[in-house]
Amino acid sequence: MALGEEKAKNRRGIRGWLNPYHYNAERWAYMFQRVSGVAILLYVLGHLGDTSFFVGGPTGTGPSASSWKFIGSIFENSFGHLILILVTLILFFHGTNGIRLILTELGLIFKKPSAIEYPYRAKSLSSGQRYLIVVAIVVAALSALWAFLVLFEGMG
Amino acid sequence: MVQRFDPFRDEKPRLVEYAVPRREGMTVLDALLYARDYLDHSIGLRFSCRQASCGSCGMKINGRPRLACYTQVDELKVERVLAQPMDNFAIIKDLVTDLDSFFAKHKQMTPHLVRADTQEVEHPTAEFLMSPEELERVLQFTYCIKCGLCTSSCPTVATDSKFPGPQAMAQAYRYTVDVRDEGGDVRLEALDNPHGIWRCHFAGSCSAVCPKGVDPALGIQLLKRHVMGGKAPREQGEGAKAWKAQSPK
Amino acid sequence: MKESRLMLIQYGTAVAAVALVSVHLIMQGVIYPYSTAISFNNMLSIYQNGFYAIFLEALLVVVLVHGFNGVRIILHELRQSPPWTMWVDAGTVVAIVASVAYGTRTIILAIFGGVAG
Repeated sequence: MALGEEKAKNRRGIRGWLNPYHYNAERWAYMFQRVSGVAILLYVLGHLGDTSFFVGGPTGTGPSASSWKFIGSIFENSFGHLILILVTLILFFHGTNGIRLILTELGLIFKKPSAIEYPYRAKSLSSGQRYLIVVAIVVAALSALWAFLVLFEGMG
Repeated sequence: MVQRFDPFRDEKPRLVEYAVPRREGMTVLDALLYARDYLDHSIGLRFSCRQASCGSCGMKINGRPRLACYTQVDELKVERVLAQPMDNFAIIKDLVTDLDSFFAKHKQMTPHLVRADTQEVEHPTAEFLMSPEELERVLQFTYCIKCGLCTSSCPTVATDSKFPGPQAMAQAYRYTVDVRDEGGDVRLEALDNPHGIWRCHFAGSCSAVCPKGVDPALGIQLLKRHVMGGKAPREQGEGAKAWKAQSPK
Repeated sequence: MKESRLMLIQYGTAVAAVALVSVHLIMQGVIYPYSTAISFNNMLSIYQNGFYAIFLEALLVVVLVHGFNGVRIILHELRQSPPWTMWVDAGTVVAIVASVAYGTRTIILAIFGGVAG
């Protein structure tokens, strides 16, 4: 067995997912999509837990005002609202970028392949779907602003 | 700086610095060859054509997969150039990587025309006709020089050893939509599995680093439609069915 | 199930999730002020609206199927040994069933459970 056999395998591993430095915008969007997806799932599981206190928690039997008030006392504060704003931000990015991915992965918004000339510009990395990354970022930012106004300014 | 690593002698890679006189128009390959010829004869380095035709000199240069012969030192705009072997390929020595699994995955895609009329294929009596428009559909994908840069840059290849990689899947598209081909169903079946085409998430790095404008990401996304539909653009002929029956899983 | 069918489900649940989550957020922050939306009495009245209960159940299923299938995909990419693949596939199904069951329990108890203090 070679001394450096493990290192020789040279697979980038999870750093390949999480480190898009030196690469294109779509790679950054991929990284954020993956991270936001996992984060949203974790939030949803927590949300299932906290909303179950409406019926008294894991051992409850029906709607309980006292149990609901208890869980509210834990999460309905500035820190909890900041978390909700962050969740809204990543949720809207994930959803909008996800729509972009559905359109691109089914080849629906690409130009047809054709003869290419130097300097080569990849059609898949076209401005069309790149604008959608910008749209996803803008939508996420606007949604976070909306969430702030709803949670902190009482808008609604 | 060059990453030096001999798996049979070293426990882990190390970076060694070589001072190379810079001249205008110098490529990274020129610099590496100077270092090898005048400073350290033991540098392991693979190259051939020196003109971005053969794909031999693929490596990671300043953190990004590039062809050494096609990357001018001046375009990097740095004082120090870092040359490392391509990610996601086993290292043989220093900058030389093992491409066996890469070629094996390419082969799994049945990268040739499959036709029913095998007699005509073996002993042609006329050309297989293709209109200019039909040729344009596949032309850019035929420019692949199998350098491996796309596979090196792919985030899925970084962890999934069963994933075919962008090069193989782009070639699968190239042959599947070729109007002369009748074996598309063979390729589509090979790709519709938990480690197949659906593990591509359009990170696009393959197309970003391709030196020949192949745009593998485009081919892969267009192929997904055919895989989703479960049907190649053309019916399998009898010869294609026979090929599928005898080809190993 | 073929991977292409699973991906069709993933895309379908993605689009459905975008729609249903948008409605959910509109209910929580636009139709009513947020503090009213999450008040006990408001929650009780909307849970007991059959349409909203069905909507919540649909949201639950769509989001959890999409989420856990996504994690399944990530875990498949991480390691490729047959035991790992088997456990990931089984674990995904168990996770979806368990979390949907827990969420459904909340909805059912909210509608049919007796109101406690």
